[in-house]
Amino acid sequence: MEDEIRILLVDDEPLVRRSMEKTLIRAGMDVETAAGARDGLARFTAALEEAPFTLAIVDLHMPDLKGVDNPDAGLELLSELLARQPALPVIVLTAFDEVERAKEAITRGARAYFVKGREAGLLELVHTILEEEDKEGDEK
Amino acid sequence: MKPEKPDENLAERRAMLLHAGAQVARSSTSILDPERLLETTVDLICDAFGFYYAGVFLLDETGSWAVLHAGHGEAGKRMVAEGHKLKVDGHSMIGRATGERRALIALDVGEEPVHFKNPYLPDTRSEMALPLIVGDTLIGALTVQSTEEAAFSEDDITSLQAMADQLAIAIHNARLHRENQRLLARFERRTRLLAAAAEVGRQVTSILDLEVLLNNTVDIICDAYGFYYAGIFLLDEAGEWAVLRAGHGEAGKRMVAEGHKLRVGGHSMIGSAISQRKARIALDVGEEPVHFKNPYLPHTRSEMALPLIVGETVIGALTVQSVEEQAFSAYDITSLQAMADQLAVALRNAQLLRELEAAHAEIVRTKTYEALATATLEAIHWIGNKALPITASVERLRQDLQDLASVDPLRVESMGEDLDIIAQSARLIMDVKEHLIGPAREQSPRPALLEDVVKDAVTQLGLKPDRVRFAIAPNTPLVLADTTHLGRALAYVLKNAVEATEGVAAPQITISIAPAEGNTVAVSIADNGPGIPEEALDKIWAAFYTTKGTTHAGLGLSAALQILKQLEGDIYARNLPEGGACFEMRLPAAAPGTASAAALPAGKRILLLDDDDAWSAFAVQTLEQAGNQVTRASQLEGVPEAYDVIVLDNALAAADSLDVLRRLRKAGCAGKTVVVASRLWAERATELLQGGAKDVILKPYTPVGMEKLFA
Repeated sequence: MEDEIRILLVDDEPLVRRSMEKTLIRAGMDVETAAGARDGLARFTAALEEAPFTLAIVDLHMPDLKGVDNPDAGLELLSELLARQPALPVIVLTAFDEVERAKEAITRGARAYFVKGREAGLLELVHTILEEEDKEGDEK
Repeated sequence: MKPEKPDENLAERRAMLLHAGAQVARSSTSILDPERLLETTVDLICDAFGFYYAGVFLLDETGSWAVLHAGHGEAGKRMVAEGHKLKVDGHSMIGRATGERRALIALDVGEEPVHFKNPYLPDTRSEMALPLIVGDTLIGALTVQSTEEAAFSEDDITSLQAMADQLAIAIHNARLHRENQRLLARFERRTRLLAAAAEVGRQVTSILDLEVLLNNTVDIICDAYGFYYAGIFLLDEAGEWAVLRAGHGEAGKRMVAEGHKLRVGGHSMIGSAISQRKARIALDVGEEPVHFKNPYLPHTRSEMALPLIVGETVIGALTVQSVEEQAFSAYDITSLQAMADQLAVALRNAQLLRELEAAHAEIVRTKTYEALATATLEAIHWIGNKALPITASVERLRQDLQDLASVDPLRVESMGEDLDIIAQSARLIMDVKEHLIGPAREQSPRPALLEDVVKDAVTQLGLKPDRVRFAIAPNTPLVLADTTHLGRALAYVLKNAVEATEGVAAPQITISIAPAEGNTVAVSIADNGPGIPEEALDKIWAAFYTTKGTTHAGLGLSAALQILKQLEGDIYARNLPEGGACFEMRLPAAAPGTASAAALPAGKRILLLDDDDAWSAFAVQTLEQAGNQVTRASQLEGVPEAYDVIVLDNALAAADSLDVLRRLRKAGCAGKTVVVASRLWAERATELLQGGAKDVILKPYTPVGMEKLFA
């Protein structure tokens, strides 16, 4: 399935994770989930050769690569993902409206910063980003 | 004693006088009390010599009067009682004997009649006056009198003067003894007072609790010194009143209970002891009767007030009172003040300890509050996070339900209604989360143009221009505020006004900005809605209070109040006489800018995409003054290639700044575009940055702040 959209969803909140997963699955996407940065990076790395992800959605505040609860764990994972796949669109998720963290995420290469609360908005955002990807792909 | 056989009798008489003199001396020298010595001596002289009368005069302090101190018999007692005295060097026998320092004899009535007219001594016919001299010092004179005419001869003088000399020495010794006794007594008293001071000090310094210290100390002092009463006054915070904090016994308890206090610097002993920083003594009812009129202390006859001083600071005063008249002397001050000084140190220590404990309690309280605030924030986040999936789950259920609509339409309709209820509840929870967390976020106040923040809030709410009227006073100073928070608070109040005017024929919101008293700026938002019900005027500020039914969480105004308070401002609501409600906010004015010059670049071509408003005027002026070429435009026209820097206001009246940014991006200019916003939130900042903006920053309101446009 060449056209399959593969999404890596990393969030430590089980209900939120499962809900977002269901929304994305319903939209026809293939979703893999992880509950922390370490697990997320492992899944990403494992899939990189065979079936790389189209897009990643990572929570900001969760267990980091050492497994320690960290408000910047998502930024850490973001950098690791982009180091392995520089063109990967990454959406950073957060429960906080923090302008500086958002700017930091964009500076590190995140495609978007999404404040949790409007899940429909998240799906829209994923579609928008994927459309942009397609366009850029066409242009190239 | 008249000599019959001159030669023979002379020797005999001399022997007899010497014997009598020795007898007097022997008996008198062992008497150490001066008064008793004199009284005894005059009797002894009369007995031994067989004289009619004998009297001892002593010089007074001035040395100009010889005062009768002891006289023989009833006559003597009366004269002493009457204060009989004779002028030294006067015409009297005593006067002359003292003036000439030699013994004199007067014989017979006829010869020197003046001397024998004393009505108390009618039978005197002869008198001898003998000076009393110790070393070179004249101390008085002795008179001896006889009923015989010519009782004394010149020859008797030697014998009687020998006796007078011995008497003078005895008097001198007795006086020395008395002085020694007095010094000893004073020394002993001081020793006793110092011992009592030490005892008080020992006991009070081990008490660390202020109340216990105050109450125990007055008892300790009364016990140690045997005083009738002791009371401790401490200064109030203003230093105007000395307030009784502890008093001995029932009297003390009553006065403390009544809040007994004395004005510092007033006429009271305590008041003046404090203001003059020195001990004061009042003795006897007669002398200073005003001090002893306290009905609770009827037996006081002496009082001493001692200031309580630590280092340079007077903290209060101590009163000690005695039932004895003249209980205190100036000599007691040193030892009692030593005690008061120790007490003052102990009191100060206890006060400091209490302050320390209060400070500690405050820290604990603050910590507790912070912990609670943190816990509350986390709880709010937790609730919000748990509620997050509800909306999405409801959405999915709703979609699934549509597929079943044909199977059981009625039940599906009912389920849909339940889903609506769940969705609305979830939305309220999410709203509450944002309203509660928003104001709790950290604030970074900066100088800001209130007019611009207000207008941006109006623009972002999408209010039609004809619905809003502005009245902005010229020369209104900048305010000190975190514009993101302030913008949110203004949005809440504006939203409230918009909702209040829903259904009004010609809805109108009037916004006024003007300088106000107390170095503040006032912004009022008035509407022509129905006003606020009187009974709700106070309640609207409470969280979860709403007059608008269940679709509102009732947190907007509460959040606005919280934000304003955090900005050290305030917000009030009132109903206008002409109808409608008015919310007035006060914000602290920013300190006038320091003259530090902004390091702005020069020679740049700058495009400012902003409405023609106060901020764009300020920006154009500042940038042009720095030597740049600035073009302001309300909307983007053509391809803006000729510019070095493009500044785009996030809140534009006629367009969405994100659209403008997209067009700039198409034109290849997004990379030199800096978006400015009076209020920023993460999603917007992200969108704008994703839209290609070079940077997204909070709108600068000072020339120095403009530097950020070129960072």
